[in-house]
This record gives sequence, structure tokens and C-alpha cells, in this order.
Amino acid sequence: MITRRGFGKVAAGALALSATGTRVLAQGERPVINVAVDNLWSNFNTINGISTTTRRIFPNIYSVLVERDLIADPTGVTLTPGLATEWSREGKVWTFQLREGVKFHDGVTMTAEDVAFSLGAERLWGEKPFEPRGKTFTEGFIRVEAVGPLTVEIETEHEDPFVPGKLSGYIGFVVPKEHYLKVGVDAFGQHPIGTGPYSVVRFTPGEVLETVAFDDYWDGAPPAAGVNWKIVPEFAGRMAGVVSGEFEFMVNIPTDQMAQLESFDNVTVRHELAGNYPAMVFNTLDEPGNPLTDVNLRRAMVHAVDMEAITEALFGGLTIHPAVPFNFKEYGDFYDPDAEPAYPYDPDKARELVAASGYNGEELDWHITRQFYPNYEAAAEIMVEMFRQVGINVRANVLDNFQLVYERPWHMQNQSNSTEFIPGDPYRPLWLDWGPNSGRGRPDSRTYAWDPTPEYLAASEKFLVATEFEDRYAGYLEMRQAWIDYCPAMYMWQSVYNWAHAADIEFIPRADAEMRMFGEYLKLPS
Amino acid sequence: MARFWLIKLARTLLTLWFVVTFTFIVLRTSGDPVMALVGPDALPDEIEQFREQWGLNQSLVVQYFSYIGQMVTGQFGVSLRNSRPVMEIILERVPWTLLLGFCSFALAALVGIPAGIAAALRRGRFLDRAVMAVAVFGFALPNFFMGILLILLFSLVLRVLPSSGTGTFWHLIMPVLTLSTFTAGTLARFTRSAMLEVLERPYMRAAAAKGVSSWRRIVFHAFPNAAIPIVTIVGLNLGQLIAGAIVVETVFAWPGIGRLLVTAVSARDLAVVQGLVLVIAFTMVMANLAVDLIYGLLDPRIRGGGR
Repeated sequence: MITRRGFGKVAAGALALSATGTRVLAQGERPVINVAVDNLWSNFNTINGISTTTRRIFPNIYSVLVERDLIADPTGVTLTPGLATEWSREGKVWTFQLREGVKFHDGVTMTAEDVAFSLGAERLWGEKPFEPRGKTFTEGFIRVEAVGPLTVEIETEHEDPFVPGKLSGYIGFVVPKEHYLKVGVDAFGQHPIGTGPYSVVRFTPGEVLETVAFDDYWDGAPPAAGVNWKIVPEFAGRMAGVVSGEFEFMVNIPTDQMAQLESFDNVTVRHELAGNYPAMVFNTLDEPGNPLTDVNLRRAMVHAVDMEAITEALFGGLTIHPAVPFNFKEYGDFYDPDAEPAYPYDPDKARELVAASGYNGEELDWHITRQFYPNYEAAAEIMVEMFRQVGINVRANVLDNFQLVYERPWHMQNQSNSTEFIPGDPYRPLWLDWGPNSGRGRPDSRTYAWDPTPEYLAASEKFLVATEFEDRYAGYLEMRQAWIDYCPAMYMWQSVYNWAHAADIEFIPRADAEMRMFGEYLKLPS
Repeated sequence: MARFWLIKLARTLLTLWFVVTFTFIVLRTSGDPVMALVGPDALPDEIEQFREQWGLNQSLVVQYFSYIGQMVTGQFGVSLRNSRPVMEIILERVPWTLLLGFCSFALAALVGIPAGIAAALRRGRFLDRAVMAVAVFGFALPNFFMGILLILLFSLVLRVLPSSGTGTFWHLIMPVLTLSTFTAGTLARFTRSAMLEVLERPYMRAAAAKGVSSWRRIVFHAFPNAAIPIVTIVGLNLGQLIAGAIVVETVFAWPGIGRLLVTAVSARDLAVVQGLVLVIAFTMVMANLAVDLIYGLLDPRIRGGGR
């Protein structure tokens, strides 16, 4: 007979088991990993789907041609074989030898045709490519061709020693040509097929991405039976989920909440400095009512801000303020720890420069995207007060989305710079993000903010064609100085990526935000 | 009677047309959807390629009539974000919102109406004050705050309920509690005041004088007469359940249409937003129609046009 007390015990037991997601596994059985994410992009195309939310998942679905060994070399400069096993250059032509016997999730064997298609004009850089953003990352490519069953050639406009490095990023992920063409780019993005350790079984945009282990993965079967990436928009839900054991991982912890999560014994909190720097970009264009055309005012605004103190106050030592733009640690030999900032915190100097400029105290409109960059609004509040103290009147205009932020007129705007592209080289932030073809340097772009100066362009000619480090470094220094002289923006701090996971899991996070649920990056409890 | 229904139907169609047109105008005039869909530094030919692909290079008038034409033939287009048919996207979410809404509403009605009746019968006493205090608390507490409190208590501290998502009966408890608290509070307050008004009526005293038992007086005499204002509030609260679901579904990662609406609006996925607004408007119109019908059943004077 079921008594009330007996029923209570059964119900409580069932409740506890179902609610806390206790992992009960038969011996040798692999667990399924559940990851609570804040968001998922609407497609998983390797280029059309570029976003931090896809980057963390991509290497679990796709494999990249060239790997960066971030375990052996945390700077990520050292390149190692991925789907390409060897590479060599003769003049403007690079030859890549591909790994043999690599299978896609549908069982088809990868060939050079797949790789040539993945990097080719039809998909990335032709007249009307399937994934138009590919043009940015393939600048200078003029021919990609399969010249053997497992050999691909890439020819570039100028000698380009950095092609293998470029293939360690988004463009290095390989897709199956035949399947891609058969289903089309949009359908492919909804049910992607790659050569990675997990294959997609269900993707419901705005809800979940479910994957299962692909045991024919070229580098050995993965440790988990599958990985489910579930959207939990609320931080409280993600935190409760990982503490109670429903989720093994969670992402995106507000920095002021990290200590609270760390207080739970069964949770480990990790963080890495990302290759990304939020910035305040000045509108330097000659537009009506824009006093920022005067370089003295822009320099004064940088002098006015004690960014070291702000960064310390808001992040508590988690990150740094890059006082000298483009002098980033992740650039190896390009990094100079002794470089001196051109415009250090100096309110008196700022006041002097304000007086020297034609500024009459008019309000400067600073467009900021609501809750996009962690702590940006808090920093803006402090900075507005610092600007006021040197006689500059700024309004922090917090707007709901980027579309509103981009709407002119604006004097300053929040933006960020990713430094990831060529490992150990400042090509992306210095040229792709500020060059004449960048959004900031192109009149037909919504983020158009400056016209690259003759000095910057002259220096870029040296930088871009240099094949030896010394020449490239000299070009880099000249470009950097030209940029600093013009002062089109202020870099604020290095972004922080963070994660929390069950304490019995060993996980190595990566500065590029990738969450690799395989290999040396993940060890599950036996 | 036929005229009554024809007028209702015409009003329904007019309301739906107005909603569709209003949504179309607001979404098209509040910014260029293409700009929200392509990257900030998209090249002009990339933008043009996108406009062409989605027919956004045509004039607004052409786009409007083509959109209305699609609606009339039951076509809602495809999502600008992932190219899936809009109806397919909406229909896979509707059951989740219906489940949440139905359970929440049932719980709210089961708790709120009896509590309101009990409070009215014990007017001025402890029970009345206790019910009203709880009702005001439920009514005043914002959904998102209540949801987060429940997560912190039941998932983080007690660890007895899952914090988010779906899959088991236990996943339903916190979202339903959150969503039904507001409705139950509202129902309790309105039921109490409607009952108090009816309980003072002469026919209630007459029934008591005739020796009708107290529960028969409440169930067969008082409640039917108090039902019209309660049905009105029920109808209004159906809409509130959908509006409230937007917040609750976000807090609990519940895969319903409320969350879909939030993501579609922030992504400016025009086709999905338009489809959703139409579905929600249709639901509201149908709920109001049902309320009108129930009025007629409850009060023959309304059915007869007040004659």
C-alpha cells in the first residue's frame, strides 16, 4: 500500500534525480555534455555565420586546415598540421598537401576538390560568392586549384608568406563541395557537415544545437557521446544550471559575478584574455557640427581619461588597458613591452589641447550599444565625468541595437577590434580594420569614420608587401605611428572571455573563444 | 443572429488587416532591414545581393501588396535569417506556448477564483485580508523578478527543480508558477469584488429566506451573476498570458513564441515578426470572440442585442 509518507519519499527522490541531472553512466559509456550558452547564431556557415557564438562551436563540427597549438605555445604563433599536413611556397604560389582518409560526417572522403571549393572564388571571393564576407579574409587570392587528389595550390597577387596563418582562421574550415552545392548555402548553414569530432543532429535557431560523437573523426573518437549547446539567456539560469549539475559548462559570466560562482565547490571558473579590444571611435570626417575634425580635441579626449584606473575598477585586475594601440602581447615579436603611450592620462595637457582646438563646448554624442560590451556603459559614465573635468561636454547615448548606433550623426561610437587572423601578426587590426577597404575607411560604409592618411597609406605599402620580419616590423611601426598621430580612436581594454564548468572536468580554454570538446582540451572524469 | 456573427466576422477581418498593415509599416519605416542583416562594413554589392534575394529592392507598395497576397493564400514567406518557412518556425513553437499558457491559466483560475470567492464570503476577516495581501503581492511582482527568485531558490539553493529548458514535468513548474501568479492575483481581486456586489443583491436575501443552502446560493445564484466581469478579465488575461510569456520564456529558456518574437525582433527578421504578430493578433481576436460568445450564453439579454 502506498502511504503518504512513502509517496513523498519516491516523489522527492524522482524530483532530485530528474532535476539535478545526475550523471549515471554504465562503465565505459561516454557522457553527453550540456553547455548553457547565452546565444546561438542563426546559421552555422563558416563565413556567413561568423560570430563569437559560432566560433566557440565551429572546431567541434569542422576541422581547420592549419592548427594553432595553443597548449604548447600559448601565444598561438606556432602553426601545426590540421587537415593540411605540409605546406610550402614558391614565389606567389602556396602548395598544401592534405591529410589522407579524412571523412565528412556523411561518410564521404575529403578531397582536394573540397578544399579548393572551400577557399575558392565561387564560395568566398568571386563575383557573387555564396558567403560574401569571405572577400575580407581572402584579399590577394587570385587562384585556388586542386592540382592532385590531395594537393591544393593557392596563388596570390603578391608574395604572401602568411597564407598558412590565414588558413588557421575561419577560412580554413573545410566544407564538402558536393553536399554544399546540392543543398545550397542557407540549408547547409542549418544542418552543417564537416570533418570535426561531432556531427550535428538538430539545430533549432534560438534554442539548441545538438551534436553526437563522430567516431570516424580523423584524430580519434571524441571523449563525449555528444555535446548539446542550449540557449539560456538569463545568467541566473545558466549559473543555477551549472551549480546544480544540469549543465557541465556555461559561458559568459558578468565579471562582477565570477567571485560568486567561484564560491561553489563543485564549479570551476576560468577566464582568458581575448584577441579583442573594445574602443571609442571618433568621427573625424568633415561633417557639419563636428569639432572632432580637430586632432587636438581627439588627443585631448585620450589624455583626459585614466583608463588604467577605470579598467582596474571595473575588471579588478582581470584585464589590461593597451596604452599603445596595436602593441598587443599576442603579436609576439611585434610586441614591445617598453613602448611609451603617446597620450597618457594628463588632465592638464588635455585642457591645453582643448584650448588649442576650435572646440566651443558643444555636446558630443557618443553612440553606445546597450549591454553589448561588458562594462562599456559603466566605463562611459566615468569617462563622461573625466571629459567634463577638462571642459569637454559628452553625452553617453545608450541605444538598443547597432543599427541605431550606426545612424548618423554621431561624434563617437562604440566598436571593437578583433586581433585574430594571422597568428602573431597585426595585419587584421592595423590594416583590415582601418585600411581604405575597411568599414571605417570606406565612404559607403555605415561605420565610416576616417580617411586613411597619406602617411598611413605610404607605410602600408611597405608593410603589406614585406616578406621578411624586419621589413614588416618597420612598416608596422610607421603605420602605427601614422595612426597614433591622427588619433582616430581610443582602445579601452582587452576583452575577457570566461567559462564555468563542473569541477571534476579538466578543460583548457582558448583565447580565441573556441570550446574544444575533444583532444587535449577536454578530460572527462572516468 | 446571422447579422450578429457577420458583423463579428467583418470586425475580425478588419482588425487582422489593420494589424498586418500596421506591422508592415512600422517594420519597414523604422530602419532598413537589410542593414540589420548584413555586417556593419558590408560591401555595396553584398547589400545589393541581399536586397535582390529577398525582394527588398522593390518599392514599398509592391512589397506590401505582394505580402498581402501571400497572406491571403496562406503563405507567410521564409525567415530572412535562416531561410526556413515562417509557418514551420512558428508552428514548432506554438505547442510550447500553449502548454505553458494553458497550465498557467488553469492554475490561476483554480487558485484565483476560489480564493476570490472565499475572500468575499469572509469579507473583512483574516482570510479576506490574507488572500488580498497575497493577491496584491502576486499582481505587483514583475514576472522576470519572480522567475529569477524561483530559479535561485529551487535550482540554486534547494537544487530540486531544473533551472531552464523543457523535457520533463519538472521543467514546467517554475515557468507556470511565475506566469500564473500574476493572473491568479488579478482573478482573485476581480472575483472578490464581483461576488461582493452580487452577495448584496435582494435575490440573494430572497434565496436565503427561502431556505436555499449556502453552497447552492453561491454556486447557482451568486457565481453565475458575478461571472460576466470575471469572464471579461479572463479574456483580457489571455492576452496578458502571451505578453507575460515573452518574459517568462526568456527567463526560463522556454522555446515558445514569446522567445521567438524577442529574437526575431532583435534580429529584424521581418517575415517571422510579421507572421508572429498575425498569429498573436488572431489569437487575441479569437479570445475576444469567445468572450463575446460566452457573454451571450451567460446573459440572454446580450444575445438578443439588449432588447
